[in-house]
Amino acid sequence: MKLRFHWMLPKAGEVVVNSTQTPEAAALYRIQSISSSSPAPRPDLEGWIHFARHAEEAGIDSVLISFSRYEPEPLVVSCALGQATKKLKFIAAHRSGLMQPTIFVQQFNTLSALIPGRLSLNIVAGSSTEEQHGYGDFLAHDERYARAGEFLAVCHLFWQTEGEVNFEGRHYRVEQGKLHTPFLADRKAPEIYISGHSEPAERLALSQGTCLLRVADTAEKLRPLVARIREQGLEVCLRLCVICRETREEAIQVAESLLPDSDIGRHERSTAVKNDSQMYREGAALGGDASWLSRNLWTGLVPYFGPVWTTLLGTPRELANALLDYKSVGVSQFIMSGWPELDEVNIFGRKVLPLVREAE
Amino acid sequence: MSLRFHWMFPKGGEVAMKTAQETSRVLTTRSRSPAALPDMEGWVRFGRAAEEIGIESVLLSFSYYEPDTILIACAVGQATTRLKFIVAYRAGLMQPTTFVQQINTLSGLIDGRVALNIVAGSSAAEQRGYGDFLEHDERYARAEEYLTICRCFWRDRGEVNFDGKYCRVEHGQLFTPFIAADRIAPEIYISGHSEQAQRLALAQGTSWLRLIDTPEKLRPLADRFREKGVEVSLRLCVICRSTREEAIKAAQSMLPGEDIGQEERSILSGSESQTLKQALAAADNVGWLNRHLWAGLVPYYGSSAMTLLGSPEELAEIFLNYERIGVTQFIISGWPKLDEMLIFGREVLPLIRKAEGRTAAASG
Repeated sequence: MKLRFHWMLPKAGEVVVNSTQTPEAAALYRIQSISSSSPAPRPDLEGWIHFARHAEEAGIDSVLISFSRYEPEPLVVSCALGQATKKLKFIAAHRSGLMQPTIFVQQFNTLSALIPGRLSLNIVAGSSTEEQHGYGDFLAHDERYARAGEFLAVCHLFWQTEGEVNFEGRHYRVEQGKLHTPFLADRKAPEIYISGHSEPAERLALSQGTCLLRVADTAEKLRPLVARIREQGLEVCLRLCVICRETREEAIQVAESLLPDSDIGRHERSTAVKNDSQMYREGAALGGDASWLSRNLWTGLVPYFGPVWTTLLGTPRELANALLDYKSVGVSQFIMSGWPELDEVNIFGRKVLPLVREAE
Repeated sequence: MSLRFHWMFPKGGEVAMKTAQETSRVLTTRSRSPAALPDMEGWVRFGRAAEEIGIESVLLSFSYYEPDTILIACAVGQATTRLKFIVAYRAGLMQPTTFVQQINTLSGLIDGRVALNIVAGSSAAEQRGYGDFLEHDERYARAEEYLTICRCFWRDRGEVNFDGKYCRVEHGQLFTPFIAADRIAPEIYISGHSEQAQRLALAQGTSWLRLIDTPEKLRPLADRFREKGVEVSLRLCVICRSTREEAIKAAQSMLPGEDIGQEERSILSGSESQTLKQALAAADNVGWLNRHLWAGLVPYYGSSAMTLLGSPEELAEIFLNYERIGVTQFIISGWPKLDEMLIFGREVLPLIRKAEGRTAAASG
């Protein structure tokens, strides 16, 4: 089976349509997107459509649309963007617990019919406790995973049964639930990506997901985990950033230009650490000499900006080889990101992907 | 101010349906009905026709047998430029923070062309399928809390804190604002005839939405709302033909066959809705509420099938009568949906606008 490549949807306002943007400017925009003066919370169809068309062109399978209080809502964004694209799929992130499963499935199914079948789901159990409280959710970390399990169990009942749904759990209760709008695609239920590094996240993925989504590590380190997940019939998808240049030195130069000067560093570090996420706690502990996990995998930005800034960098050939190494241990999908997203997706589509396909 | 006219959005597949009978609830609630699926082609045709002839908004109804209203508004909004969307939603099915985030996102994607029709709930059985086990009165109490939180997000734009009986939010923050040229929050229509519905509309709504009745009956109610600065909107059907007699003939041809008619009645009689009970009683007792307002279709098509019928001149005059007692908006349907809307736009609306122009000139 061929590797599948997805990309992060850029923040609103991040895509510069008719001029150029430096990697530093792109990174800064993303860092500041959670400040109240940023335009990132306002939907940006023009920039998004521009990016989406380039992503389709580059051979990207889907875009992941993240969920947070700082951003527009992913299902609604997918709907608008899906009207303007033909092939591109959408992985909409959703936090379980913020809606009743019945209404969630109704929205999700409606969306699947409006953008024929081009829709997958990324379930996140929660983020910081503070942000969850703002959404009316007062459960603790592990309980949120238990609830997410029930949430997805109800969703699967709707997707798998034609008739009425009945469910009685600790967190949800549905009696004779009926929905007439089906999930419309060439599969009965969407692909479900479960993210997280914690034990409950892995258990949730195994019981309710189709794919475990986690931050990249070296292929060697990931081997046992991937084998365990694959044995259960699930896929593994890695989240990572890429910097591809003609030489490794050029790529490193770009990467280092993104390091903050020390003052900004301290400030940003505090906002990047989402207190309730094991992935973020692990990320915050990284840095220093340990920042090169391999010749091409760098975590130098992680202590400042969080684990999803883990970066694969090098020449097109090096990147293609690294991706094929992941394939050899059983990883089958990637969700990537770069600075700027637009330039990096173009480079990836032109330089890296053909090498990967050739080897496959 | 001129009267505002909205139209009921067609169900999936309805734009292609030629008779009222095909759109009956018995048929559209069957699980294989085309009403279960989005119908972008028909909807876009309808939406563009609506904005062309001067219809301000479409109302998208919410139920388990139709696609989700917020996402339909988003998709059809991409293909239209002026038409607004009154999105019906039931309070309590999602956290208010998430709901506001979706509505705000939608507003940013369709230039603020979104309003809300908040419904406290439907039948107890349908609510339980949505995971909601509250009783009728409690659902209204929850809707009150729900809208209080929504309005805090829209008004304050800072942190929202709320600790109620049904909803709790701590340090709630949403960065995506409600985006519209002229408002910081959507218009909110509250429907229902019960005392709780009226109280909710007065406390949290910008308009009370109810079924049409005669102007005499509505006058005291309209006064009550206008005093508090809340508008009154009426839901009705319109059948306009060149004469009243022809309109009556058209209306009678819409009565369903016997089987469907009986099934329809038995569905309707199971409802808890006070609106529907009142409308059914009117249909049984009198049939005609006045010379132009007919309840004959209600037993078969539900309470919103209370029908105003007549010639263009008669209808225009009737709408202006409602304006005189303080009604400001109408949400209309007719069969076939597109044809009746086109007749209204061509024949009735110009007469109303002309008369409003004369009044404005006389008072100006």
